[in-house]
Amino acid sequence: MSWAGRRRGGAVSEPRARLPRGRHGLSRETVTSSQRTRLEAAVVAVTAAKGYEAATVGDVLEEAGVGRETFYELFADKRDCMLAAHAQLVDELEARVRVAYLGTAPWPQRVREAVAVALEFFAERPPVARFMLIELFAVGTPARQRFQEDFNRFVALLDEGLDEGRVNGGPVRPTRLAVGAVAARAYEEVVVGRAAELPRLVPELTYELLVPFVGEAAARETAAG
Amino acid sequence: MVASCAEKTYIATTIGDVVAAARISRTTFYREFDDKRACFDAALEHCIEEVRGAATGACSADEPPAQAVREATAAVLDLLAARPELVHLLVGEAIAVDPAVVERYRDLVVPAVSGLWGSDEEGETHLDPWLAFGRAQLLIFDRVTAGDAGGLSELLPEVVYLAVGPFAGHDAAIEEARACPGPVAGAAAR
Repeated sequence: MSWAGRRRGGAVSEPRARLPRGRHGLSRETVTSSQRTRLEAAVVAVTAAKGYEAATVGDVLEEAGVGRETFYELFADKRDCMLAAHAQLVDELEARVRVAYLGTAPWPQRVREAVAVALEFFAERPPVARFMLIELFAVGTPARQRFQEDFNRFVALLDEGLDEGRVNGGPVRPTRLAVGAVAARAYEEVVVGRAAELPRLVPELTYELLVPFVGEAAARETAAG
Repeated sequence: MVASCAEKTYIATTIGDVVAAARISRTTFYREFDDKRACFDAALEHCIEEVRGAATGACSADEPPAQAVREATAAVLDLLAARPELVHLLVGEAIAVDPAVVERYRDLVVPAVSGLWGSDEEGETHLDPWLAFGRAQLLIFDRVTAGDAGGLSELLPEVVYLAVGPFAGHDAAIEEARACPGPVAGAAAR
């Protein structure tokens, strides 16, 4: 089921099921926000299915059940819509990881939980995973800046939740290696069409993340859960 | 092709851009390549060869493996610092055009590094070498997308750590990373 399909009936939007016409008492903001959400969901579904280059604005409109005029009121073009959807998804992922990681459990456990929610995020909507990790690079040079910003955003989040006294230093910077590990492994699995199976990798990926911080023996203990 | 892809990405690149930059005619282009994709694939092969040449030229098989890794890594980072377009092509553009390409050259690098350590030692599970490759790649791509290709040499300790860790273990890898020349303290503080 596509992401757009899954969101149907959700709190934010009812893709395809258009809002009532005429005097419906809904504010202009509510209508616009609903249309925006539907279009962003649609660009994800269409891009993941057809590839960014092949996807057209027409495909997105059809998937979203929104008119062309509305699309161009909200977005400059396909790329703009794609980048907006991408930013939205990164926010969503960051919010989920933040909740899991900045909890009260001991730090190594929090790392494990952060890995778990990130992998679940990709696994529950494989088209989203494909959209975020692969199709982004098809949009051209803005993708490079996005990659850069997002990568460092997650590094900063990991830094933020480090225990006091847990030195993130030495000759390597483990939080950068950690973000790289999750991104690289998720990417590999998405390429081969196994996004849905990502959660099975929580133990080994937790191990990979923790080794640069605590060494192999301690990492093995936490990874086993 | 390499220059144009690095500057404006593969998708935005036209055959017109390529022939103009190469100062060749369209006829010549089509004598060499069927289409844009064929030219890109050839360019990619060329980039892979260039990186491989830098790595193998910098070390010899008689050296201790960790030393060979350190020298090869330093040479590759120097090359990429001088020619960041290789990074754009091998990472971002390769992903955009065909993600399988990345796997193909990863399959060249990992066994080559692994081979330095000889046959696998029994038992111990260290870091995953295939994942370590992806991690190193992202660290490098991060630097280059930040517009700081000149600072790639600061990644030497981390890339060496990732190249040594899977085969000799975390403790040995940290030692090797520490032994790397360069502004380690500055890199660690970031």
